Amino acid sequence: MSKKLRIGLKYCGGCTPRYDRVQAVGYLRERLKDRIELVSYEDPDVEGVLVIAGCPTACVDLAPFKGRPVWVVTSPGDAEGFVAAMTRTGDEPEPGDGM
Amino acid sequence: MSLMNAKQYEESLRKLKFNVWMFGKKVENVVDNPIIRPSMNAVAATYEFAHYPEYEDLMTATSHITGKKVNRFCHIHQSTEDLVKKSKMGRLLGSLTGCCFQRCVGMDAMNALSMTTYDIDQKHGTEYNKRFLKYLEYVQENDWTCDGAMTDPKGDRSKAPHQQDDPDMFMHVVEEKKDGIVVRGAKCHQTGAVNSHEIIIMPTISMREEDKDYAISFALPADAEGITYIMGRQSCDTRKLEAGTMDRGNQLYGGHEALVVFDDVFVPWERVFMYKEWEFAGQLVEQFASYHRQSYACKAGVGDVLIGATQCIAEYNGAQKASHVKDKIIEMNHLNETLFCGSIACASEGHKEPSGTYYVNTLLANVCKQNVTRFPYEIARLAQDIAGGLMVTLPSEEDLRSPEVGKWIEKYYRASTAVSTEDRMRMLRLIENITLGTAAVGYLTESMHGAGSPQAQRIMISRQVNLEEKKKVAKKLSGVTKDE
Repeated sequence: MSKKLRIGLKYCGGCTPRYDRVQAVGYLRERLKDRIELVSYEDPDVEGVLVIAGCPTACVDLAPFKGRPVWVVTSPGDAEGFVAAMTRTGDEPEPGDGM
Repeated sequence: MSLMNAKQYEESLRKLKFNVWMFGKKVENVVDNPIIRPSMNAVAATYEFAHYPEYEDLMTATSHITGKKVNRFCHIHQSTEDLVKKSKMGRLLGSLTGCCFQRCVGMDAMNALSMTTYDIDQKHGTEYNKRFLKYLEYVQENDWTCDGAMTDPKGDRSKAPHQQDDPDMFMHVVEEKKDGIVVRGAKCHQTGAVNSHEIIIMPTISMREEDKDYAISFALPADAEGITYIMGRQSCDTRKLEAGTMDRGNQLYGGHEALVVFDDVFVPWERVFMYKEWEFAGQLVEQFASYHRQSYACKAGVGDVLIGATQCIAEYNGAQKASHVKDKIIEMNHLNETLFCGSIACASEGHKEPSGTYYVNTLLANVCKQNVTRFPYEIARLAQDIAGGLMVTLPSEEDLRSPEVGKWIEKYYRASTAVSTEDRMRMLRLIENITLGTAAVGYLTESMHGAGSPQAQRIMISRQVNLEEKKKVAKKLSGVTKDE
């Protein structure tokens, strides 16, 4: 089994989320438990950042993550897209590989 | 300790030596008092949620003084994004607590003072801004909750402060000393007063030169010698003394207000941020009021809870499919989101002041608050409409628990077979709590009068709209050529 990717997790603040963001992260953790390890976005060794936003506004400031792959999830559908991106064989995240 | 958690906050409050009175008796243990405790829980939530990854983006900010992460309630807005996040934080916390969480008033006071102290210094060559920034750093470093205290008793409303029969109707200087000043007066309606570590005093109205002894702003530890707190009553407050908790409605959170009396209290110079610069009193009032009118995004958050409760009770009653019920829920959401729109708009349209602080669009902030004086009442009316009269005729929890009559309540107050009688009662109590119980203080009457009564916003709106420009366009489009 290949080494798990360390992905930094960053939530939006959740003022009016349109889905349960924490539940979505729980789902992603479970679905991708063999592929990724979700850690703090402040961890200096992350290989990419997963942004969980509660609505399409996705107001999280992405500037601190410049130079790293960033995936922005704004709905349960996006979460499935992230699963698909992480399960593509041989795929490694690259800058600009965000959703 | 720049980010306390709920436990640390509670422990920090226990160290304060407040002089608090309620029901004619001194409160010896403020933190554990059952009437006050839910309000402490609500402020504690502002600390705890700052540590939750899913709320942190709104609940924290980066200090422009130290570069450290601080609770947003201690932050000076450095961009329109900061202003927008402040609005969103208010909505978030209202939606999590279902009540007033009390901490915005200190944030608004500090942001207003960051601008006014700077402007006073520019005109008078004083050092208020330097003093204020030092104080701000102290607040940020300790993650203090500050009570921003503005409303004086005001006495005879037809008279200026210096004309009052009783000079103490407005907070004023009674003695000037080498190392500070002595002040006397009172502040009314002080939200979260005994949950605060600090109290920040501001004047309550614009002033003239004759009122200069009243044009003062300062900060003190909330338990400073000479300060007395007299707790305000809330509708249904003593339900919190009953054995059961169901009749409280909100099981976790609440708010409080107090009359705060300053009986010859000493303020050291380093804590004084305005001293007789009477021409800046009106500016400070306006800046604080505009920020605070933005802060009412919180009511949209409380509205979220009330709408959720109303939808639940419609389902518990089996009435959720009725078209008029669906339409009323839509109307409640429409009104609630309109409240949020105003707060977001005045933040998005904010600008940078000479001090560097970002300030809301004041016209839109006043429109925001004007809506808040009305829409929660309509949302509450619709909630009561859908809930039904049982909300106010329901027997107590003790009756439900009674071996003799509990069975009758259980039997006759059951609606949908899928929902227990107790759960139905709980939801009705929550709606009662928000629309006419302890939380109605914050959701309704505070919506009316907090941050200024409706007429105050109407005056500000009339001052700021450009009527001449509107007339000019109307004349042009209608073909009126005469300029009368």
